[in-house]
Amino acid sequence: MRISRIVEAVLFASETPLTAEEIARAAEALDAKGVQAAIEELRQEYEREERAFQIYQLADGYQILTRPEYAPHLERFDSILGLARLSQAALETLAVIAYRQPVSRIEIEEIRGVNCAAVLRTLQERGLVEVVGRAEGLGRPLLYGTTRQFLEHFGLRSLEDLPRPEDLAITLQNR
Amino acid sequence: MTLRIPTLSGSKIAADSTSTEAFVVELEQFQGPLDLLLHLIRSQNIDIFDIPIAQITDQFRRAVERVEQRMSLERAGEFLEMAATLLRIKVQMLMPRRPGELFEEDPRAELVRQLLEYERFRELARSLAEAESDRAQHFGKGYIPPRPAPREVILPFDVTLEEFLTIARRLPPPPKRAPHRAALRTVTVEEKMAALREALARRARLTFEAFVAPFRTRTHAVPSLLACLELAKQRFLRLHQERAFRTLWIYRREDLEDR
Repeated sequence: MRISRIVEAVLFASETPLTAEEIARAAEALDAKGVQAAIEELRQEYEREERAFQIYQLADGYQILTRPEYAPHLERFDSILGLARLSQAALETLAVIAYRQPVSRIEIEEIRGVNCAAVLRTLQERGLVEVVGRAEGLGRPLLYGTTRQFLEHFGLRSLEDLPRPEDLAITLQNR
Repeated sequence: MTLRIPTLSGSKIAADSTSTEAFVVELEQFQGPLDLLLHLIRSQNIDIFDIPIAQITDQFRRAVERVEQRMSLERAGEFLEMAATLLRIKVQMLMPRRPGELFEEDPRAELVRQLLEYERFRELARSLAEAESDRAQHFGKGYIPPRPAPREVILPFDVTLEEFLTIARRLPPPPKRAPHRAALRTVTVEEKMAALREALARRARLTFEAFVAPFRTRTHAVPSLLACLELAKQRFLRLHQERAFRTLWIYRREDLEDR
């Protein structure tokens, strides 16, 4: 049995992204490096054979997903798992949290100029943000950050994958 | 001090450049006062670093006045607060500057900073939306839900409409479409008991809050509490709370060895 087939089996059976370390638990002979090599081998194989799916890297892990060109066909199914799109308010709030985390509600509201309590609650319920700590100072406000689910929702490998407009780096540094 | 009337380009605005009547916006489409202000500025090609404050203030107030009654108090408040800020800036701009105040900051500076910052995050939100769209083109396993098992109804050939309807009425209603919930890992009380034992091996006491802090979800909090109660029953630990809603302390029982 080839190592890459074991990795393939694990990826096939999973509904969520798995990290290389998690996949490596499948066999004694496996380690994270071996998993990565096996995934590369599989990726090339899928590419070569023009499979309808590919192994994608997201949220620090790997997951088998269908290729984008098949989306129109899959969308014909009345699925329960379709990705529910976020509202403009949710996207703006997430943008502030993603780039400024850890960040308090007050800071988010100062940037957006509107009350964000309800949208924050929704984002928390959807598991896209979570409380990551408390700030020092008056009232010790809760600080919010993004979750692994956030990365999965936007198809990002890690926070490093967030779009980085040039001037933003300055803003981040100044804090 | 002069208030610059911006050169208007684009067809959205009436030829009379001082007119604010012609500028109709649908407030519902805006996230808040900053979003509306940015729209007023950007759609009229106004230089954001030299905002004609009197003109913008008028347009802003008109836009808000029309729909104020229909807005929730809080939302209306957010717009009114901005209207007040604009008025204050307008007044400050009209006041003559004394010689000593030569280097005083432009009254509009803070607002401009706020607008630019918000605009940048609005852009970032747009790129997030694009990432979301790209991601939505990929489907993972379980996208197509399992088909419910068919219920077999065997009808005799000589069925009347009435009989047919009677049977039809007996059919269960179509299943309600529930929003998808990502399957949470089930957290067991046993797991939390083990974690508690481990935590108390390292220190004599801890707060319940600290124990559940890394998780913060009901799925973890409830088994955690049950684990506390179970271990208290087993006389492994002692729970102490001064009164309801106060900090819940978990103490290791020192008399454990006695048993």
